[in-house]
Amino acid sequence: MIGETLTLKVAAACAISPSLRHLRLVAADGSKLPPAAAGAHLQLVLNGAARTHRNAYSLISRPGARDAYEIIVRRVPASRGGSAFIHEQLKVGDVLEAGWPGNLFAPVRTARRHLMIAGGIGITPFLSYLADFAFGGADYALHLCCREDEQHVFDPWLAGKSSVSVHWDADGHRLDIPALLAAQPVGSHLYVCGPAAMNDEVLELAAAAGWPASHVHCEHFGSALSGGEAFRAFLAKSGVEVSVGEDESLLEAIERIGVKASCLCRGGACGVCVTPLLDGEADHRDHYLSAAEREAGRLILPCVSRARSGRLVLDL
Amino acid sequence: MLHSDIKSRPTYTQLEPDLSGSQHLLIVEGDTVLPGRLDSLAGTFAPVEENLHTWLVGTQAGGLGLGKVWRLPGVADVVDAFACATRGYGIGDRLYVQGTEPFLWSVAKAAAIIGFSAEQIHLHHAGSLRRRVWCTHCHTVTEDVTTSIASCAGCHRHLLVRDHFSRRLGAFMGVMVDAEAPGEVPAVEESFA
Repeated sequence: MIGETLTLKVAAACAISPSLRHLRLVAADGSKLPPAAAGAHLQLVLNGAARTHRNAYSLISRPGARDAYEIIVRRVPASRGGSAFIHEQLKVGDVLEAGWPGNLFAPVRTARRHLMIAGGIGITPFLSYLADFAFGGADYALHLCCREDEQHVFDPWLAGKSSVSVHWDADGHRLDIPALLAAQPVGSHLYVCGPAAMNDEVLELAAAAGWPASHVHCEHFGSALSGGEAFRAFLAKSGVEVSVGEDESLLEAIERIGVKASCLCRGGACGVCVTPLLDGEADHRDHYLSAAEREAGRLILPCVSRARSGRLVLDL
Repeated sequence: MLHSDIKSRPTYTQLEPDLSGSQHLLIVEGDTVLPGRLDSLAGTFAPVEENLHTWLVGTQAGGLGLGKVWRLPGVADVVDAFACATRGYGIGDRLYVQGTEPFLWSVAKAAAIIGFSAEQIHLHHAGSLRRRVWCTHCHTVTEDVTTSIASCAGCHRHLLVRDHFSRRLGAFMGVMVDAEAPGEVPAVEESFA
């Protein structure tokens, strides 16, 4: 199975809660899949009714597995179409195009201890971590913060795993994040994946508790970041202008008109899609550019960032 | 004097408490404390005194107490104290070290072995510029080198002491100075007194 993209077939699909669907994907031609390590994600091309979506999902399959990729997809109420397509239209036997697995959230191998904090569906990258740590005997703890009615949804992946705690929003069940962060030994690494507000809170608390920045790792959900007011973008090299709708990203609009743009994570983290910005003011929403680069205003990550002013001119 | 064109040459800063830290450990090589300087360190670290431990190392370390004070005979005792640490150090802790370069890096390495991150360790060079030198030929470490060319304690070659520094070894690179013309050794200077 060698090529720029992978062709996958849905081998199994089941609802594990009213809003969560588990998918098992195999190679359409029956061959082995490229292996992926803990924390990896898979970018799926979803041909919805209105348009094509490219969404990245964390792989929850055992690291190194080559028989199948597994993902869990949350149906987002304000879905831009990707998760709705997976929940409503995708069925067993359907064929999907996917990118090769990428990994921007691998566990740090030199860590003395791994502390994971997950918010809801943000647990997905950590399910592959747990499978990995089960082999290596690493010291770890996973804290899942979720809705009370979803506390058992992930049990099939957590069975037999020690050091997993589940928290929800009720007296006696909330996670005391400052106390948790203050109690960690030297050599610990912190990983957080959840809704933006939770990520930001944990990152802020970790900095306040004296955690070295290089020991703190965060994975954001990309899709929630990319919508906003409609604007126009002119692609200087291609000589075409494109209008970017409220519910699509600049990158999606560029792809829609057939201009090729590199990308990997589609969530503003990896920097693969970074593009020179020739004119216009960007609304930077990525986690990649430095403060100085944002200030200079010469670069943009089209996967999440948008226009502050009416029109952008890209060197693409 | 402490700057070089060679990028591996570490640069050091003045010590000041990192207020985001939770527990603070200050380790001072006693010989490198100038009269009155301990007072000034006490002033600098006053904001974190409640969470401060000071280890004074060596015979000259007299005088003031900064936080909880512990006296240790030598750097080997510091290394042992880390290696045998029964008290767990925290991810928010900060380590500040003052001393000569061999002292700084012996302590930094012992701390790194038990998990301290480079961002948690602050080093301030004080006292002699004497160097630990690692021979590229026989891999022996020669201590207390103060001259630009030194005899290797292992193979006795004449080593040119370069600014090329290894954080892992806490040592500067020494290469044979008369390899091409045996016996032609340039004038030796007291560069690192």
